[in-house]
Amino acid sequence: MLSRVIQRRFNSSQTASNLKKTALYDLHVALGGTMVPFAGYSMPVLYQGQTHIESHNWTRTNAGLFDVSHMLQSRLTGAGATEFLHKVTPTDFQALEQGNGTLSVLLNEHGGIVDDTLITKQRENDFYVVTNAGCIERDSEFIRSEIKNFTGDCQWDVVQGRSLLALQGPKAHEVFEPLLREGQTVKDLFFGQRRSYELFNGIPVDVARSGYTGEDGFEISLPNDKAVEFAQLLLDNQHTKPIGLAARDSLRLEAGMCLYGHELNEDTTPVEAALRWVISKSRRAGEGTKFNGYEKIMDQINSNSYSDVRIGFKYLKKGPAARTDAKIFLPDNKTQVGVVTSGSASPSLGNINIGQGYVSKANRKTGTQLSVQVRNKFFPIELAKLPLVPTHYYKP
Amino acid sequence: MFARALVRPSGTNGILRLFLRAQSTNALTKTSLPFTYSTSGPSKVLYTNQHEWIAAHQDGTAFVGITTYAADALGDATYVELPEPETELEAGESVGSVESVKSASEIYQPVAGTVLEANSALEESPQLINEDPMGAAWIAKIKINDAKDLETSGLLTLEAYEESLKHDEH
Repeated sequence: MLSRVIQRRFNSSQTASNLKKTALYDLHVALGGTMVPFAGYSMPVLYQGQTHIESHNWTRTNAGLFDVSHMLQSRLTGAGATEFLHKVTPTDFQALEQGNGTLSVLLNEHGGIVDDTLITKQRENDFYVVTNAGCIERDSEFIRSEIKNFTGDCQWDVVQGRSLLALQGPKAHEVFEPLLREGQTVKDLFFGQRRSYELFNGIPVDVARSGYTGEDGFEISLPNDKAVEFAQLLLDNQHTKPIGLAARDSLRLEAGMCLYGHELNEDTTPVEAALRWVISKSRRAGEGTKFNGYEKIMDQINSNSYSDVRIGFKYLKKGPAARTDAKIFLPDNKTQVGVVTSGSASPSLGNINIGQGYVSKANRKTGTQLSVQVRNKFFPIELAKLPLVPTHYYKP
Repeated sequence: MFARALVRPSGTNGILRLFLRAQSTNALTKTSLPFTYSTSGPSKVLYTNQHEWIAAHQDGTAFVGITTYAADALGDATYVELPEPETELEAGESVGSVESVKSASEIYQPVAGTVLEANSALEESPQLINEDPMGAAWIAKIKINDAKDLETSGLLTLEAYEESLKHDEH
């Protein structure tokens, strides 16, 4: 096992020639990034001079710069764009104000989650959509087929030639604001909002106050040919360090966020995924366009007709982490009631083990004591409210 | 990780200095118990190609741990699973595991023997694995079944182990 882990980590660059590179690839390498294959891209998992835990803690206390250009940026436009979104998501995009974005889910005909996505209303019937890198093929197939069957006017276009950088952490605004052209500010850009800005050197950037760490921060879209210069400017600030995929995963796990393929898949509905809040109240009555899987999802809400639900947990004592696919039991260590979808030590909680998983509805309550099996041993856990570490979003 | 350290500095002096350091990185720490257990030090220090080390003393007692190379590759250790005393283990059986935030890795017994003691310091301070993997972070103290196994189990000398790492890095 030891040798396998090492092989995987050290040989990962061998296949790099088949992998796509983001505009920041050379910068990652120059910064000493350990590059690994991720969703078809060669991406940095960790940078020289920082351990995983140091990267994690740096983002919670300063500002971490993440290259998330591998994620798919796209646009939905046309007179029927809102109606189309109402077919493929359960969220009310008519009521959403311009310049605001929200997390939502793409639903298949059975109400299963094709992908989770951040969708921003730029103007009436003009939406900016960010979806997962790992889902590009399935998402494209899904959206194209849905558009084909849609009678209204809606176009879907992949945004080409733009990088996406996330600057996350309590000092993110201190790092970013001084780079704006004079007179511009992010003080009135609140969590979920997105706006166009211009940097002091004339570079145009689209800035969303959002992220995947639970901290305040920004996701900034800009032309590829300006991305390195911009990243360098951010890194010139002593509060900023480049942060890789390793810390990105531990940060999102603490923040209670889902990772597609772990917490979410096409057999899981937003009700089961404990994401009811993406199902807008105004969409539940079924007036106008019904979202995919409407009957099933509404029945789950109204009649509790589902069995398992996503939960968070913490260990009650030390032990090896319960990772993906570890089984969850009643305290008798015999009756299985669930399964772990993500788990690791939590750097923000003194390295106690935490995780997310699914358990049967009857055992979902916060404070319920259960156990997890790791190899042949059992370790007691307690279900805990998500997020497992408090979030710090910038809200009015 | 230290593969990268070897190639990054631009000046020749930097490369030479790092190379010398790398040469001794996987040697046993002379001030820790695995070395000082006998006054004359261990009679043999050998390595597996899965990055465990074993320091065997004249009386048949040996210490087992993971190499600096392995510890660097794993990153911050967050938990070490230790063996129970009196466990009898064949060569290649799991003697414990080391967890980082990202992954868990088994540690395999280099030669057959019985666990005498686990290093309980690792329970409170798993980070010792990163600070002194070749010494204070020994994982198990064992009684070797047959000292001849050290010769016949395909274990590597320090030189051979570090030579094998060069191939690992290409």
